[in-house]
Amino acid sequence: MIISKLKEALICLKAGRVTLPYPFAPHDPEDGFHGRVVVDAEKCVGCGGCAEVCPPRCIEVTDPSPEKRVLEFFLERCTYCARCAEVCPEDAVIVTKEFETATNDLEDMHMRVEVFMSTCRRCGRCYEPPTPLDRMMVTGFRPPTGESEGA
Amino acid sequence: MTSAELIRRRRQDVGPAIESVSEPVPGKVRMAVAPGAVVSVAKALYRDHGARFLVTAGIDSREGGNGFEVDHIFSLDKDKIFFILRTSAAAEEPEVPAITPEVPAAAWAERELQDLLGVRVEGLPDGRRLILPDDWPEGVHPLRKDMKYGDWPPLGDENAEESYPWKQAPEGTSTVVIGPYFPVLEEPTQLRLFVDGERVIDCDYRGFYNHRAIEKMGDSELTYNEIPFVSERICGICGFIHSSCYCETAEEAMGIRAPRRARYIRSLMLEIERIHSHLLWTGIAGHILGFDTVLMQTWRMREPLMWLCEKITGNRQTYGMHIIGGVRRDISEECYPEILAVVGKIEQEWIQFYDAVQGDTTLKARLVGVGMLPEETAKEIAVLGPTARGSNWDIDARADHPYAAYDEVPIRVITHPDCDNWARVVVRLEEVLESVRWVREGLKQMPDGPIMASDIPEEVPAGQWGVCTVEAPRGEAIHYVLTGGDNRPDRWRVRAPTYNNLQALPSMIKGETIADVPIILGSMDPCFSCTERVEVVNVRSGEAERLDYQELLARSRAATERLRGRRGGRPWQ
Repeated sequence: MIISKLKEALICLKAGRVTLPYPFAPHDPEDGFHGRVVVDAEKCVGCGGCAEVCPPRCIEVTDPSPEKRVLEFFLERCTYCARCAEVCPEDAVIVTKEFETATNDLEDMHMRVEVFMSTCRRCGRCYEPPTPLDRMMVTGFRPPTGESEGA
Repeated sequence: MTSAELIRRRRQDVGPAIESVSEPVPGKVRMAVAPGAVVSVAKALYRDHGARFLVTAGIDSREGGNGFEVDHIFSLDKDKIFFILRTSAAAEEPEVPAITPEVPAAAWAERELQDLLGVRVEGLPDGRRLILPDDWPEGVHPLRKDMKYGDWPPLGDENAEESYPWKQAPEGTSTVVIGPYFPVLEEPTQLRLFVDGERVIDCDYRGFYNHRAIEKMGDSELTYNEIPFVSERICGICGFIHSSCYCETAEEAMGIRAPRRARYIRSLMLEIERIHSHLLWTGIAGHILGFDTVLMQTWRMREPLMWLCEKITGNRQTYGMHIIGGVRRDISEECYPEILAVVGKIEQEWIQFYDAVQGDTTLKARLVGVGMLPEETAKEIAVLGPTARGSNWDIDARADHPYAAYDEVPIRVITHPDCDNWARVVVRLEEVLESVRWVREGLKQMPDGPIMASDIPEEVPAGQWGVCTVEAPRGEAIHYVLTGGDNRPDRWRVRAPTYNNLQALPSMIKGETIADVPIILGSMDPCFSCTERVEVVNVRSGEAERLDYQELLARSRAATERLRGRRGGRPWQ
């Protein structure tokens, strides 16, 4: 009995203090960590592949006008699986290491990406002009707003 | 015995009643029989062949004109055979005979069938509601296809809670109610203990307060490749087993097989998960006994492993590693030494810890000879995992139905003959060491190659099926997938190990004291998910305000309505 208690005490003493000083000292996760995602609006072509595979369906794609496609990210529902980044053909979805996402305001977790599209004269569907220069040439061009709202 | 022999024997018994037999994969048999013959076939499987009952899956096939189909799944462990006994019921007023009187382990599964699919099970000894809430209206069955995901039936009678037919307390006993929020395990479950003085005579159970309708989501909302991520959220600790099991099952149904390296990575992560889950459990068990040093020290040992998981998969928990056909992330060779170092450190500390607690008479006084579950009872109820192995029953899905890489690197099954709480503790303590051994062995033999199968079909034909089990830290989990149209399964059935283990609780706590109930329940490592009155204390003024049942119910319903309103436009937030 006494011996086993001594053994247990030894385990505790040997371990010493292991608590990290976080949050007073930063504790960064390793590379490859799945943190909050951000979208590089310059690279996004608006294909919507991310919305297609997102298991919690936190990405919504809408086309308010033929020239504009809006991708909305409701990140409060994100499960950090990084499927969006995996399927993105342009590597526009970037997985950051940010994990301190607790907030009182839900708007902090919303991200809106507006992609400027042009319409094919033949079929009427939108497509992304190949180069930034081409994009500026199209009527009604506005610079991309990126993750403007709330992000 | 081979599956052919098994089929031949059944043909001899009930020949004309057999409607069809299929065996898409060797060792996985599905036999459809007329409703009249179900009980005799089930009885023969259980009594003559020692088959273990796993679960019942009900399928709403009314759209295809087949009424309801009911699949009872059995396992012949030592022969490595899964036997699915299928019968059908009419579309209108469906009814099937109960197999519970012959196969006691089917009790909950058949009650669930009655609740969720509305197939009446004739002759069920205990036909009370199991899953549906008390105020759920009669005649509404959520797993039927005509009920859409997200539909809410009108709320029923506000006094329904009062009318749940609880078991009558035996003569001369008092009733002690624990729950619905179980104070020790901090999870929602309700136990009514009927006690005579200190001793528990009998008990009644009500649970499923946190039912999330994941199966319904699987066959009406999600697609094949989304399910792994949702299935992983069935359990917060051992989620990886559910995504592995689903992927193995779906792959079998689709006729593909993950590449060797992917299967090794699966097994490796499963063993790492087992180590951290058992370490977590040991801590919780110490906490339940009031020995918090155990909690602190085991969780300290566990932490580096969690960081390792984060490094390998990107997430500390619910790794999101699986999709059908393989795994999403490879483990780089630079990682191997770190994995070995982390598990090596755990092994070294674990041996020390094991040695220390083995002589601890305080711990042993609470554990040895308490919560007895004799081998025969364990087999009758079909308990699983360490709960079964602690009762000297050598079942382990890794050895009986090898999946992932366990066919190439086998595992040693650990049993203990004592059938008490201590036996279950020892089984888990030793399994940690065995898992460490597997991680070493698995890494040594890890093959090179792709981590995704290349022959994944574009379209999956409807009507194929697969069944697989995976040994979770708590016991064996089973998934059963029937493929359907629309890129999603027609039916996806999941059974987690606690479903079976909890049914053993009444016999484990009989004759024990109330104080031992939490640790007995804790010893099976349960994983669950309003009282009639609640006291709200205003912290600032120190005044207590009492809410009676009606007020609490009204507040809860208002909150539910508010949440539903917020959900509004977007699907299933």
